[in-house]
Amino acid sequence: MKRLGDDLAAVLFVALLLLTATFLILPVLTAMAMSFDARSYLGPFPPTGFSLRWYRSFLNNRGYLKGLQTSLVVATVASLVATVIGGAAAVCLDRYRFRGQQALSAFFLSPLVVPAVVMGFSLLMFFSLIGIYEGYPRLLGGHIIIALPYTIRTTLASLVGIRRSLVEAALSLGATERAAFWEITLPLARTGVIAGAIFAFALSLDDVAVSLFLADPFAFTLPVAIIGQMRATFDLTIAAVSAVLVLSTVLLILILDRVMGLDRVIGLGIYKA
Amino acid sequence: MSVVELRQVVKRFGAVTAVAGLSFEVAEKQCVSLLGPSGCGKTTTLRMIAGFEAPSEGDILIGGKSMAGKRPYERNIGLVFQDYALFPHMTVEQNIAYGMRHRGVARTAIPGRTREALARVKLSGYEKRAPSQLSGGEQQRVALARALVTEPAVMLLDEPLSNLDAKLRQELRVELKEILTAAGTTTIIVTHDQEEAMSLAEHIILMNRGRVAQQGPPVELYAKPRSKFVAEFIGRSNWFEGRLSREASPGVWEYETTEGLRLLVPPPAGPVSGRYEVGVRPERIAVDRGAAPADASLSSRPNAVTGTVDYVENLGSDVHIWIHLTSGRRIRVVEKNVDQRLERAGAPIVARFAVSDCIVVAPEDESK
Repeated sequence: MKRLGDDLAAVLFVALLLLTATFLILPVLTAMAMSFDARSYLGPFPPTGFSLRWYRSFLNNRGYLKGLQTSLVVATVASLVATVIGGAAAVCLDRYRFRGQQALSAFFLSPLVVPAVVMGFSLLMFFSLIGIYEGYPRLLGGHIIIALPYTIRTTLASLVGIRRSLVEAALSLGATERAAFWEITLPLARTGVIAGAIFAFALSLDDVAVSLFLADPFAFTLPVAIIGQMRATFDLTIAAVSAVLVLSTVLLILILDRVMGLDRVIGLGIYKA
Repeated sequence: MSVVELRQVVKRFGAVTAVAGLSFEVAEKQCVSLLGPSGCGKTTTLRMIAGFEAPSEGDILIGGKSMAGKRPYERNIGLVFQDYALFPHMTVEQNIAYGMRHRGVARTAIPGRTREALARVKLSGYEKRAPSQLSGGEQQRVALARALVTEPAVMLLDEPLSNLDAKLRQELRVELKEILTAAGTTTIIVTHDQEEAMSLAEHIILMNRGRVAQQGPPVELYAKPRSKFVAEFIGRSNWFEGRLSREASPGVWEYETTEGLRLLVPPPAGPVSGRYEVGVRPERIAVDRGAAPADASLSSRPNAVTGTVDYVENLGSDVHIWIHLTSGRRIRVVEKNVDQRLERAGAPIVARFAVSDCIVVAPEDESK
């Protein structure tokens, strides 16, 4: 009788897991399937024939292409800058003990807690206050700020895991603090730094809420372009664009997995080591 | 000239004084052990010599030069950490070459010296291995080779064997001693293990509460401890409490324990006053089996005490005999397990020890 209860619980647990996974993946799969639909209008699922017309439409749409280009540039620059700033902040938080350190550490993570809409609106106000009206720098600034918590968190997590004696050993062997940092600390924290950079890149690529506020008619990201297009003409080009976005994210995750093992990276990002 | 010298070194962490006015010298090629219980300040002292902590007061000299304000990399030291601290992202070869690269050894000389260093610790052929592929003992030897290869003025070893299991520890202790002797470097070993200190060092600085409790050759600390702390930290003893009653003959005092036993003991250090404790090492006590003969000859023999066997522990090479003395106290005697008639509990027995084997110390002052 006892055994039965346990077995039942196990079955339920697996079922729940499968259900969750299905729920996660099904909508995306639907959209991807629809992106290959041959019909010229938005028909009901499933697609009736295979064609690449929506991909052609995507490639012929200046708005989307410009959005993709902006997205890639902003994501690359923002993730690099956020990695450097976040990495430096993490090194400080890890190495020095000072009053208010915990508070500062929490403060750096606050963009995770503040709703993205609030963040976007506040940033818009702030940028106009300091006289920045162009979309490009605003997008860059905004994306760096929302990416920072991730880069700080992942870098800090891997720094905390480095034994103090390793750096001390380097110093005792004649290495200066600087040499020890470049030769011991940084290579050992590499996983966290790269993970942070990739998280930052993916986050920037996917962001809508902040970008909606900060974009202007000349500089907008791909998700912003999708939303704009959705209001004008709702067709399956959006499905094709979504597929491209999903594919690039999947590609990124595959690289991540290949380089350092996905479980470890996700663990680093979310949980304190 | 001494290679390392500490002059009245004090280290405070906030309100806590970790090291309270420590002075000692380490001569060239000498192997010295900083021994003591945890929290006695020995590790802090090592970290100050290495330059990871700055003394609050006093001065540390290496090779006759003051190290005040000198960073660790500006000191000619070799460190072996308790956790070995091998760089996990480098091979054994790269680990060993690290110090040479930073200490300005010619690039062309590095591979040869790396090979020599590995041969010295019997790890030839391990060049391309990663530290994670090595056993604890092998990691320890790589750490040793890495520190030795730059030919530092002084080697600092922090609990070098404590991360190994008991059996391996004894084997590696001998190996460590051989390697250090062959290298001929001046060495300071921090340890809490008295056996390790006695086996490795020719001079022990026993620390307690940030001060030197006693220093000297291991045998001297064992045979002539100047306080109960020293006697208890290095080896075990049977203790009696009581007072010195009179000088029985020149250089021999009569000691009366609180239970009324009369013992003959050597004079204490310093002027005689008040209460004393007397300790006798368990292996310095001989036993006579059987009941004490009821004649006067026994009382004429000094330091023969009667009792009954409480319990016998046969530990293989040694036998521990716990004796319940007629006076009420329980003592332990250690004998080699050679004769093998083991006493039964309750059997009468006589324990004897020489006057010179009695350790006379003032009682511990706990308020200190």
